[in-house]
Amino acid sequence: MKTEILAMILAGGKGSRLGKLTQKIAKPAVPFGGRYRIIDFTLSNCINSGINNVGVVTQYQPLALNNHIGNGSSWGFDGLNSGVTILQPYSSNDGSKWFEGTAHAIYQNMDYIDQMDPQYVLVLSGDHIYKMDYEAMLEDHKANNASLTVAVIEVPIEEASRFGIMNTDENDRIIEFEEKPEVPKSNLASMGIYIFNWSRLRSVLLNSYKKDDQMLDFGNHVIPAYLESGENVFAYRFDGYWKDVGTIDSLWEASMEFIDPEHNLNIRDKNWRILAKNTISPPHFLTESADVKDSLVVDGCYVAGHVKHSILSGDVQVKEGAKVVDSVIMPGATIGKNVQITKAIIGENAIIGDGAVVDGSEEIAVVGYSEVIGVLTSESE
Amino acid sequence: MCAIMGNVYECPELLPLTEKRPLATLPFDCKYRLIDFNLSNAINANIKSVYMVFNQGTTKSVFDHIGGGREWHLDSVDSRYFIHFYQDFLKKKAEGRPYFESVIDYLNKSKSEYTVFMGNRMLCNIDLEAVLKIHQQSDSVMTVVYKKMPKEQIYRQDEILEVDEHGIIKGHHNFLEDKSDDEMLNLSMKIFICRTDWLINALQEGQNLGGPVALVDFLTLAMNQVKTYAYEYTGFLSNIFDIKSYYDANMAMLDPKKFTSLLYSKQKIYTKLKNEVATYYSPTSEVRNSQFATGCLIDGKVQGSLVSRSVVVENGAEVEESIIMASCSIQENAFVKHAILDKNVVVEPGIKIIGSADQPVVIKKNTHVLSDVYGGE
Repeated sequence: MKTEILAMILAGGKGSRLGKLTQKIAKPAVPFGGRYRIIDFTLSNCINSGINNVGVVTQYQPLALNNHIGNGSSWGFDGLNSGVTILQPYSSNDGSKWFEGTAHAIYQNMDYIDQMDPQYVLVLSGDHIYKMDYEAMLEDHKANNASLTVAVIEVPIEEASRFGIMNTDENDRIIEFEEKPEVPKSNLASMGIYIFNWSRLRSVLLNSYKKDDQMLDFGNHVIPAYLESGENVFAYRFDGYWKDVGTIDSLWEASMEFIDPEHNLNIRDKNWRILAKNTISPPHFLTESADVKDSLVVDGCYVAGHVKHSILSGDVQVKEGAKVVDSVIMPGATIGKNVQITKAIIGENAIIGDGAVVDGSEEIAVVGYSEVIGVLTSESE
Repeated sequence: MCAIMGNVYECPELLPLTEKRPLATLPFDCKYRLIDFNLSNAINANIKSVYMVFNQGTTKSVFDHIGGGREWHLDSVDSRYFIHFYQDFLKKKAEGRPYFESVIDYLNKSKSEYTVFMGNRMLCNIDLEAVLKIHQQSDSVMTVVYKKMPKEQIYRQDEILEVDEHGIIKGHHNFLEDKSDDEMLNLSMKIFICRTDWLINALQEGQNLGGPVALVDFLTLAMNQVKTYAYEYTGFLSNIFDIKSYYDANMAMLDPKKFTSLLYSKQKIYTKLKNEVATYYSPTSEVRNSQFATGCLIDGKVQGSLVSRSVVVENGAEVEESIIMASCSIQENAFVKHAILDKNVVVEPGIKIIGSADQPVVIKKNTHVLSDVYGGE
């Protein structure tokens, strides 16, 4: 099977900075924006960019992610010559194949990539919120006759030392790469999105694993090696909304930004829809006592309380007298009577008992999946 | 068990809502179509083969809605669904040919022991497997489902069942011929269960004798000839036959008990999935006692209403006790009360649309409303 471009989504990170939210599920499977999971943005970008073949590399807590992706039909990956394949580490004669870095994850899945026989491999991470046309990036890659193209975004220079920074010439050719530099020379940060000519990357990786200098990471090992050996490496500038949601604070922030109907992400744009695995639920019900302002609500919710500047995901219940402010309530959670929730992320299927208080004014409060807070009275289900 | 769904009879009283779509695909409660309920009833009873009869020229919205049947699991390896046209039966009858040929062929190939027939107007969430069990325990040839309904919720074409003390049908008559003083009548829900081999024989005999072409009429008549058990359904039922009954059936969903009975029972109702974003309620919105699908932008006031997908209610606009179908736009300071806005209706700023609870105003699909509309007198 010959494929022009194959996308490999690296969804294997442990996401330990998300604390309780990634204890049981992989980071890309964390719910976002009411009806999505984080990986939906990347998967939708692929299908919208005309990329019909995707490998999803997983390793930590993959159950929710596998269940979510299934055969890929929610995004249209079930068509002819299309497919989404979930790639998990496995043990072979050569020993364990646990992934030790981004480049290592690609190396370990070489058999799969060879089977797809692509000309180009697009490497993506599954934990960013953004809309991007990878096809335009591929066109650039071809026009530049590049061996590797790295997507970059301008970040405020004072924050640049948190990122991998690309120093480019006037043609956007990358001449230097610095991982988290103390004194950054530019503000072009790598987005962790790469297009490689597969045949070249393949032989570079094979060579490195034959010797002792094994290339584990793209940032730390592969890109520097490419630059050193004089490969044609270009930067592709992206100027839309892009947010890494790898920490509790950034996840909460991205969620609050997402509520704004004027948000740059333009989620309502029908020409670049973000698709998700939808579940079937009745319409949402705002009762006589409900008061919902500046908030997003989706199917299956039952709201009898007050909700302000918050996101209610599918099948959430907010009972009478409850007040939810500046918070994200993930699918299936129940907020009991007279509960007060401020600046919090409430995990899937969590139950907040009547009268409980969850206050994240100091530091964003997080309630884990299926966690029970407060005392359950006989009335709360 | 296999299922046959008859969608032949339409009610002119529902015009203009059924001008461009069959009754079966009338939208219901923000995100459903009437046919979702019967399809879900079938799927929930583990029925994997469905045969639907439609009128010619009415199936565009049906195919658009059902598509490959994925949402109802009709696309799995061992599932099938078929659509046949009523006019083909009529044409064959006129030509003196065996007009039940196609349905008999379907029944033979379905290899199912039992067949359930369902009509198109009765909105319910029924456990057909439970009906089948009762049917198997009775020694009757056929079982018909009915519910005791108040007279005002019965249509002129409906059949009223006469049931004896053992639950056996002893007769039936058209509602217009009903002379009883009873407040509640046994309304036939046009759901029949029988053995497939019996049905095949009956249809073969029927077409030789020139019996009724519409299967619902055929089965209703069959109650005269064979022992038929009457199964009383006690769940939520809406009999939809005119604008008022359609409006009331929808509005009933704002009663949490009825909403729960129909949509939160142990049997799920499946519908076509759409990838809509969440509905946004702005700081100026004021919403009470209403239901919404996703994709809406609400800046104005909404009260006692049902709002479908991707509807915009602008600042200062008010919607009261109305049904707003998908993609409508109610612009600044417009006022809509006791109305049914079909899909893609645009209400210009400041325009008033006012009906009454007894006679809601209906605005046709794709209408751009430029001047006030008063109705319901």
